[in-house]
Amino acid sequence: MSYIRLRDRLRIPTYDNVKYVTTGTVTFDHEKCNGCGMCVKICPGRALLLKGEGKGKKAYMLDDEITPCLSCNCCAAICSKDAVLSRVYFDFNYYYKVIHRGEFNAPRKFI
Amino acid sequence: MDEKEKVYNNWTPTETVILERRSVRKYSEKQVPEYLVRRIIEAGRFAPSAGNSQPWKFLVIRDHDMLQEMEKDVVTRCKIFNAMLNWRKGGITGKLAWLNAQFMIRFLPNELHPIPFSAIDLMANKQFMLFHGAPTVIYILMDKRGVGKPLVDVGICGQNMVLAAHSLGLGTCWVGFVELLKYGTKWKKKLGVEYPYQIVESIALGYPVGKPDGMIERETHQIDWFENGEKRVLY
Repeated sequence: MSYIRLRDRLRIPTYDNVKYVTTGTVTFDHEKCNGCGMCVKICPGRALLLKGEGKGKKAYMLDDEITPCLSCNCCAAICSKDAVLSRVYFDFNYYYKVIHRGEFNAPRKFI
Repeated sequence: MDEKEKVYNNWTPTETVILERRSVRKYSEKQVPEYLVRRIIEAGRFAPSAGNSQPWKFLVIRDHDMLQEMEKDVVTRCKIFNAMLNWRKGGITGKLAWLNAQFMIRFLPNELHPIPFSAIDLMANKQFMLFHGAPTVIYILMDKRGVGKPLVDVGICGQNMVLAAHSLGLGTCWVGFVELLKYGTKWKKKLGVEYPYQIVESIALGYPVGKPDGMIERETHQIDWFENGEKRVLY
């Protein structure tokens, strides 16, 4: 058994078809988000945006079916309020299938 | 406290830099002092390389106008690639682009991975800045005559510099899109890049805006562990 079957190796997925793509997903805690917009400014995929006015201004993910989130968690690192976290990695089908990955974890120590 | 517990309770300073280092994509305009840039390159100079071949050359670019011009030229090149490869515009040109993309992607599966594919589009539409406003950029050129796998050596050298920079309170981001400057003669002439050198990567360097560094969550990777005639699978 191979990790990716020959048939799938020959099929190149396209980035604009939902059948081929699972994008990264970030979840916001809008109770904590203060709408500072740092995450929006640094997002490498331009997957986030600010919505709302004044105190109701919060960060959200794009509404698109396929969002260009790379699940890099740079937004989580820069957020001073701990209001954002990504735990879903992007994946493409067929040739670019992501394999041999486990769950999201913070840096671990072992004993 | 035994040795094992001591290790368990603390991250070493090196580990802290490695685990907290994030790519910085928003820089302040404040220039990095020359002595820090020189010091960062020292960390690169002492990187291990195959057969001690040190197949690299550094370019430091701190000229604002020059960085702007590079950015402009990379955008132009992204526009050309976008016109040839982005099929989402529809129509007959879209169909031709789709055919071209399906053909090219089989020869350049890494360069045209869906992620950079979208990035080309962002860059062409100026939604994304090449150096994120960094005042200093270090280019790493590869000597093509290096021992074994010079690309790997260049990566190791760059990682040394990046970690040194973060330990000094600076921010960095790897910028691979500068590879597009290899097309045509303009930048090769300006930067003096000729055989045996090749532009491989660049590192944007500057003071970050906000506090981008910090530990985050990442997915684990499968580890196949062979010991005592058995195989274990760990994550």
